Amino acid sequence: MKITIGMLTGLLYFNIAYGQSYRLSGRITDGTDNPIAGARVTLRETGAQQVTDRQGSFTFTGLRPGVYHIDVAKMGYEHGQETVALAQDNQGVTIPLKGAMHVLDEVLVIDNHVARRKQEESLNVEVVGRDFIHRNLGGSLMQTLERLPGIQTIGIGAGQSKPLIRGLGFNRVVTVDKGIKHEGQQWGADHGLELDQFAAGEVEIVKGAASFVYGSDAIGGAIDVKPESPPAPHTAIASVDLVGRSNNGGYGTSVRLGGRGSRWFADGRATYLRYGDYRVPTDTVYVYDYGVALHRQRLRNTAGRETNLHVNAGYLGERFNTILYVSNTFHEAGFFANAHGLEPRRVDAGMHDRSARDILMPRQQVNHFKAISRNALHWGAHHLQAEFGFQHNFRQEYSQYVNHGYMPPIFPNTLGIPQGLEREFDKLVYSLNVRDYWKAGRHELTFGLGSEYQDNTIRGWTFLVPAFGQLTAGAFVYDKYRLSDQALLHAAVRYDHGSLRMSEYRDWFPSAVDDHGSQEYLLRAANLHRRFNSLVWSVGLNYHPVGTFSLKANVGKSFRMPIAKELSANGVNYHYFSYEQGNPALSAEQSYQADLSVEWSPAGWRIQVSPFYNYFPNYIYLNPTSSFDHYYGAGNQVFRYEESRVMRYGGELQVSRRISRSLTAEVLAEYLFSKQLSGAKRGFSLPFAPPPSLLVNLSWAPGRAGNPFMSVDYRLVARQDRIVPPEKKTDGYGVAAIQAGYTVSVAHHPVHLNLQVQNLLDTKYMNHTSFYRLIELPEMGRNVVLSVRIPVAVARGEAAKQVTKKPKQ
Amino acid sequence: MKRIVNVFVLLSVLLSCSKDSETTDTEYPEIDMAYAEAFPVQCSTIRRGETFVFRALFSDNVALGSFSLDVHHNFDHHTHSTEVNDCGLDPVKTPETPFVYIRSFDIPGGPQTYEARMEIAVPADVDPGDYHFMIRVTDREGWQTMKGLSIKIQ
Repeated sequence: MKITIGMLTGLLYFNIAYGQSYRLSGRITDGTDNPIAGARVTLRETGAQQVTDRQGSFTFTGLRPGVYHIDVAKMGYEHGQETVALAQDNQGVTIPLKGAMHVLDEVLVIDNHVARRKQEESLNVEVVGRDFIHRNLGGSLMQTLERLPGIQTIGIGAGQSKPLIRGLGFNRVVTVDKGIKHEGQQWGADHGLELDQFAAGEVEIVKGAASFVYGSDAIGGAIDVKPESPPAPHTAIASVDLVGRSNNGGYGTSVRLGGRGSRWFADGRATYLRYGDYRVPTDTVYVYDYGVALHRQRLRNTAGRETNLHVNAGYLGERFNTILYVSNTFHEAGFFANAHGLEPRRVDAGMHDRSARDILMPRQQVNHFKAISRNALHWGAHHLQAEFGFQHNFRQEYSQYVNHGYMPPIFPNTLGIPQGLEREFDKLVYSLNVRDYWKAGRHELTFGLGSEYQDNTIRGWTFLVPAFGQLTAGAFVYDKYRLSDQALLHAAVRYDHGSLRMSEYRDWFPSAVDDHGSQEYLLRAANLHRRFNSLVWSVGLNYHPVGTFSLKANVGKSFRMPIAKELSANGVNYHYFSYEQGNPALSAEQSYQADLSVEWSPAGWRIQVSPFYNYFPNYIYLNPTSSFDHYYGAGNQVFRYEESRVMRYGGELQVSRRISRSLTAEVLAEYLFSKQLSGAKRGFSLPFAPPPSLLVNLSWAPGRAGNPFMSVDYRLVARQDRIVPPEKKTDGYGVAAIQAGYTVSVAHHPVHLNLQVQNLLDTKYMNHTSFYRLIELPEMGRNVVLSVRIPVAVARGEAAKQVTKKPKQ
Repeated sequence: MKRIVNVFVLLSVLLSCSKDSETTDTEYPEIDMAYAEAFPVQCSTIRRGETFVFRALFSDNVALGSFSLDVHHNFDHHTHSTEVNDCGLDPVKTPETPFVYIRSFDIPGGPQTYEARMEIAVPADVDPGDYHFMIRVTDREGWQTMKGLSIKIQ
C-alpha cells in the first residue's frame, strides 16, 4: 500500500514552468553510497513530492531561490531531512539514509503521508496507525477507534461493535477494507463488523458527506481500513502479538509471517481470540424492573471467540503492482442470556454459571470470507488502480424456539430449519472499482467507476428482511486544483444507479386474519423491484498560509439507497417487541453537509475546531407509532419506516498543549445536536444520539531509549435527555483510563509492552449508544489489558550485509 | 492568547445554539393495576369455559394511543414477567391446545386517563396451567409501557 501511495504521489509532481525558475536535484543513498530507489522525497515548502529512480535521483523544478526543507521517507530506513539554500540553477544535494531494520514494524509507518493526507483533503480526516491501535486496543477495531473525537460505537458485549460517526451509523457509514466496501449486516444494532484489528495497518476516518468517493451509504462518513505494509525487499519477517484482558478473562494471539524478494512477496497472519462472560460493577441488573441476580457480577453467556486467517501475495514493480488478499474471519459470541434482545428470559442460571467461558444459546456466529485483488499501473501521467472483490458473509443467530404470536406451540421438524436457528443471513458480494489518477498541470484529476452486486438469502424461524438482490453502479470525477502553493480547490461530481429486487416471503405458520377464526399463511413481503438514481457533488477548499494556521472547508451532497429492510420489512422483531413495517415507496435518502476545520498551532499549542452542519430533506427513520397490530404484528407496537426532514449540527474541538519536553496535555470535546423538523416525531432527536463529551488527557513521554510513555484519560460524558421512542434518558458519567508502554530488547529484538486499565475506578455507568442500554445493562467494569508485540525481521543476502551493519558512531 | 479566547467564544456561541425551544413529550404512559377492581393481577386464576373481564387503568401526561393484550402459555417456564414475586410454577409440560389471545384496541380521543374493560372468553378445551398475560399501552408519541403478569388457567 505504501508503495502504491509512493508511486502515485511520485507521478503527481509539479510541472509548472515559471519564467525565472531553478531546479533542485539530488540523490538519496544508504550509508555506503548505494542509491536508494523508490524513496519518497517531499519539498516541505511546496508540498511537491517525488519518488527516486533507480539511481536514487530526484529533481524539483520551477523553484524560486530560497531556503527549502526536504523530507525523505523510504520503507526500512529512518526518516531523512535536509535543509538546502537554493541559490543557483540545478543545485545538487545528497541525502544519506540510515537503515532501520531493527524496529521494522514501527518504521514502516513513519513518514509524513498522514499529515499530507490531512492537509490535502478538504473533508475532516483522522488517520491512525498501528501504534494507536496497539495503545488503545479495545475488544474490537471500532471500540479501539472510539477514543477519537466524533467517533462512537453501538456496542453489544465485549467483542463487537459498529461505528457511529457524529451520531450516524448502520448503513450511513461505509467501511472500506483493502479498497473494497465491507458488506455484512450493517443494519443490525446487535451485529458487529467482521474485521481483524491486528491485520489493520492504518485506519482513515472520513467525517462528513463522503458519497462522492464511496457511493451510496457514505452519508455519515467512511472508515477506510488499510492493510499492513508488505515486507521490505530481501527480508523475512515474523511478528507475534499477545493480548490478555482481566475483565472477561480474554486472551489471544496474532502471528504474522512473511517474506519478500525484490519484487515478489507473500505474507500471512493468523489471529485467535477467546473471552469469557464480561463483568459489570453490580450484582443485580433490572430487565424491565425484573431483577436478575448476576453470578460474580458476570453477564451470563456473553463469552465469545474469534478466529481470523489472512494470506496475501503480490508483485510490487515500478510501473505495475498487484496484490491478492484472501482472508476469513469467524466470530461466535453469546447474547446476554437473561434477555434475548429486549425480551426478558427465564434461564437455567445453574447451567450458565457453571462456566463463564462457554457459549450457549442465545448466540450468534458469523463467518466472513474475502478475496480482493488490488492492482496499480503507471502509464505516463496516469496512475490506474483497479480492485476486484468477492465477499461471503454468513451470519446465524441461534436461540431456543419460543412460540410468539400465532406460531405453533411445538416447533415442527418438517421445515428443514434446525430448531435453534432463529435467523440466518447469507450474503454474496461481487465488487469492482477502477480509478485513474491523472496529473495535468495544476489539476489532479481522478476518474472512478464502481459497481457491486449482492445476492442475499435468508433462513430461520423468524422473519425480518426478505431475500434480495442488489446491483449498484456509479461513476465519478474529482478534480483537485492547486490554486497556489497555499490553496487547493476540490470539486467532485458522481452519478449512481441502483436496482433492488426483493423476493416474496410467506410465514411458515398460519395466523388469524379476522375475528371469525379464519387463518392464513401471511404474505410478509411481496416481490418488489425498485430503482434509484442519484447525482451528488462536493466542493472544498484547503488553505495553508505560511505560519501556524490552516483551514479547510467542504460542502457536499450525499445519498443513500434505502435498504431491503426499510422497503420490505413486515414482521415482528421480538428483540424489540416491535412490529416493523417497511415502506416500499421510500425514495433515496439525501443529505447536504457543510464542514469546516480550522487548525492553529502557535508554539507549544495545537488547536483544532471542526464544526459541521447537516440537513436531510428525507431522513429514513423507523417510527414507533401509537398503534398495535394483532394480525400481522401479533399484538405488537407498529414501527413504520417514514421520512422526515432532519437538521443536525455539532463538531469537535481538539486542544493539545506541550507543557514540557516530556509532558503533553490534551482536551478532546465533541458535541452533537439533531432534530427532526417534520413528521410524527417533529421536535425529537434521532435515535442513538451521542451526548456531549469531554476527554482530558495527560501524557508523559520522555523520549528515552525504549520509548516509555504513560498517559491518563478522563472522559466526562453529559446526560442525554434528548431521546426518541423507545429510548430512555441516560445519566452522565465520568470514567478514567490509563495507558502505559515500554519497549525492551530481548536478544537484540525489540519487545513492545503495552498496559491499559479501562474503567480504572470500576464505575457503574450506562452508555446511551449501547445495544443493551434499553434493558439498563451497565458497561464493562475495570479491565486491565496487557499486550505484547514482538516484531522480528531477518534481512537476507546482499541487503543483509548493508542493512544489519551497525552504524559507526 | 487572545486568539485562543476567540476560539472558545466561537465554540460557546456554537454550543448555546443548542437550546431547544420546543418541548417534546418524553414520558412513558402508565398501567395501574393496584386498585381493587383491576383484573387479572399477578398470580390471578382464571377458569376455563368462563368469561372474565380485563380491567386496568391507563394514564399518560399528554394523550394515550392504544393498548394490546396477549395471553400465551408459559409451560416452558420462559419469562416476560415484570413483577418481582413468583407464583409458583407447575412442572414444565408440552402444550397441546394452549390458549392464545392476541387483540389490540385504539383508545378513542386520546384521553389522559382511560379505564379498559374487556370481556375475554376462555374456551373450555384449552390446556390448563401457567400463562402470561401481557398488557402493552402506548401514548400518542409512541412511548410504550409493558406489564407482564403470570396467571393460571384452571
